Amino acid sequence: MSSSGTPSSESPPASVLAPDAVVTTVSSTSAPAEPTGPPASPSTVIANHKKKDTSKVVVYFRAIGSVPIMKQNIYTITASNKFSTVIQFLRTQINYRPSDPLFLYINSAFSPSPDEIVNNLFKCFNTNGKLIVNYCASPAWG
Amino acid sequence: MPPQPGQGKTPATAASSSTPTQPAPHNQVAKVIWDGSIPIQFSWDKAEAAAVGSNAVESFFFEAQRCSYFPLLTSHVRKHFVDMALHFIGDDAEVWYEYEGTPLKWHYPIGLLYDIHGLQASSGQGMNGSLLPWKVTVHFQNFPGDKLIKSQAVDSCQDYFMSMIKEADYLRNGSTKKVMNMSKSDQTQLWDGLWSNNYDRFWGMNHKLVMNDGVIARNLPIRIYLPENCPVIQEPVSPVDDKEQPKTLRQVLNSSLPDLFPLVETGPPVAAAMIHGIIPSLDTSAIWASQNMSYPDNFLHVVVIIINK
Repeated sequence: MSSSGTPSSESPPASVLAPDAVVTTVSSTSAPAEPTGPPASPSTVIANHKKKDTSKVVVYFRAIGSVPIMKQNIYTITASNKFSTVIQFLRTQINYRPSDPLFLYINSAFSPSPDEIVNNLFKCFNTNGKLIVNYCASPAWG
Repeated sequence: MPPQPGQGKTPATAASSSTPTQPAPHNQVAKVIWDGSIPIQFSWDKAEAAAVGSNAVESFFFEAQRCSYFPLLTSHVRKHFVDMALHFIGDDAEVWYEYEGTPLKWHYPIGLLYDIHGLQASSGQGMNGSLLPWKVTVHFQNFPGDKLIKSQAVDSCQDYFMSMIKEADYLRNGSTKKVMNMSKSDQTQLWDGLWSNNYDRFWGMNHKLVMNDGVIARNLPIRIYLPENCPVIQEPVSPVDDKEQPKTLRQVLNSSLPDLFPLVETGPPVAAAMIHGIIPSLDTSAIWASQNMSYPDNFLHVVVIIINK
């Protein structure tokens, strides 16, 4: 599929992706705190969901085929980012221009849309606390 | 409960594309959802039209399938405005749609977009039909690359659609084997059935995916949409509770949004869950909803309507 390879619109702030060679704590956002007392109002619930979640998740990049490998392939990324941030970051790391074809997959299985939230992907598809992102220069898994 | 299709594993369903399409297993709910449509009034963006001296261009009216996608309508829309006044030599992928200032995501089903931007934004008050026809503005220029994904071709819609189906399969089974083991023509049949609005073609194949060969899914492919452009909620949702009983929609929503969907209502509900423009009972089994009320992309897209702020 060609979609993940298209230039994504959001360039990541330089600070959102930090090298994370030693993975000690995986701070995925867990379920919201146990409700105690009266329920929050809908407007409060909405406001809380709009807040930028600053927790981080671990992303593990794996090159497939003839595509540049990264010097380091494990990074932490802010959970509330969109997947487009991951695409953009990877392109920068391997010096790919926007026109160079690049395809990203989760767990060698499917290619998420650039607007999917990294935290959602992590919660649903992480493997032992890492979100595995495979990348290659031509479509690999349909 | 409507009858559950039970004859899915007969050899006859192994039909390849060379044989005539088998009728899909009878499923009244799936058929009614498939037939759901929204009348849309497409108007050319006033500024774009004025820039070429066309101030009174007639709108284009179209009854769109809820389960379809805007890129599948673009050739009709473009043709209408080209016939009127538009001089357009660009690619159809440049065309984009907007409702009340918000660009509409082309990779979301049209019915989902209407439920989010029309019904949810008006707290469900558009249900009396006052929002219809849905007034959508068409743009042929200035694609908002910061708000919408820029596709390289209209074919991208098919790629995105198949990716969603694979993501859903992965949630159900922990792999995409069920999709990947389909022949190429069987995979294509899903998309062909969708864009040609052929229920039997689509559901004849889709049935195998959503019923999961009778194996209980690990997780249900569900996305939940809060108002005001909140990030989409997608979490692993087991179809059964601790006692191996099928979860209800209320239980599923409660685990993501406990304040809006308490397990026991103590007063009037503050929120409702909308799927395909209707509000199903929260006592509905989640797995049943997933199998029968998912969009063609295999996800159950649940739009949260705030009733009482």
